[in-house]
Amino acid sequence: MAAVGILTALIFYSLNIPHKSNANVIERWVLTVFAPIMKPFSQLSVFGEDVWDNYLDLVNVRRENLHLREDVKALNSRVIAAEEVSQSNRRLTRLLDVKNTIKAPTLTATVIGEDLSPWYGTLVIDRGSSSGIAEGMAVVAADGVVGQVVKVALTSSRVLLLTDHSSGIAATIQRSRARGVVKGKGDGLCQLEFTTREEDVKVGDIVVSSGIGGVFLKGLPIGEVTMVKRGEYGIFQTVTIHPTVNISHLEDVLVVLRNNND
Amino acid sequence: MTKWSATVIAIVSAVVLQTSVLPIYIASPFKPDLLLVFMVFLALRVSFMSGASLSWVLGLVKDVFSGLYLGLNALSFLLIFMAIKHISDRLYTGSAPLFVIAVSIATLSCASIDMLLLVMFTESPGIAFSMSVGLVPHLLVNAFVASFIPLIPGFDRLLETP
Repeated sequence: MAAVGILTALIFYSLNIPHKSNANVIERWVLTVFAPIMKPFSQLSVFGEDVWDNYLDLVNVRRENLHLREDVKALNSRVIAAEEVSQSNRRLTRLLDVKNTIKAPTLTATVIGEDLSPWYGTLVIDRGSSSGIAEGMAVVAADGVVGQVVKVALTSSRVLLLTDHSSGIAATIQRSRARGVVKGKGDGLCQLEFTTREEDVKVGDIVVSSGIGGVFLKGLPIGEVTMVKRGEYGIFQTVTIHPTVNISHLEDVLVVLRNNND
Repeated sequence: MTKWSATVIAIVSAVVLQTSVLPIYIASPFKPDLLLVFMVFLALRVSFMSGASLSWVLGLVKDVFSGLYLGLNALSFLLIFMAIKHISDRLYTGSAPLFVIAVSIATLSCASIDMLLLVMFTESPGIAFSMSVGLVPHLLVNAFVASFIPLIPGFDRLLETP
């Protein structure tokens, strides 16, 4: 029986060999029956493949997104650090320019704190007696005079700002050479005192240190005249000065290592 | 953590915040006086002996980082502490509004005593004007800061038995 079956199959096969390019009845019938069933399944498979691919893509995209976010964070912090270094570099370059113009040894210090009270003008710097700082030394920034050292500890010092009420700096008007004493007004401004009514002072004049008193070297910029008032009476005129140094944004300063005894 | 180490941490934190952190973010007239707030807290909560000496030390710490005259705030802090302590036994010291009011009055008193001592004993022309101008924002900021202190857990607990 099996032999008959095998023989039949062999004959069927041999009869179909010449018609390899044409579909016979059986082929046509099977194809016709299966085609409508195969089509949706094929489409479903394609859809499934798309879904799977998309899912895989999505997983990859999510992973990639996380990586990119990390990269963005790292790059942002690098940009901020670079900007900080760049600004610091610019600031220190300007400070170095000033340092080169000062004919006395200087020491760079960083501002580490401000006065606890709103009505006093002092700063804390990160250098003290161990760095050679002593009371009375002048403190300058890239833009001009900051103040003078008042209290010195081993590794830190306090600087009395030129805007404090207790501060007084001998000064002169750069253009007319009129003299006076720059005293702090406490509100971020200063006043040029003891300048007689006859002296030539105008708004916009630059005020520089006169060098009298020995604390500040001659010619350091202090501020710009913003208001001049001459009353009908009195010997002196009222001159308001805006400091050239931006006190609220001070970061690095130079301490002139020379006090008035030198 | 012992009460003394907590006190030291509170003082150091207040000084660092006030000198190095807050000035970067807020303008000068709006600086709070955290040491004064702490002193008022002590005046309402601790015994006279330890509180008085601690208030004087707090004022001294403030003097180290503020102004030029060492002992000025130490004296004013001590006087304010004694004044508050004198009446604190008759008050409900766990009350948040009372704390804010006490800090406001202490701010006014501190500025007044400082101004008086400066005008009487030092040569600081114009300081009275600057203090008067800056007093209102300073008072408001101190009261604002004081309003947060009662939110700290355990505020209404006495630090030590008087």
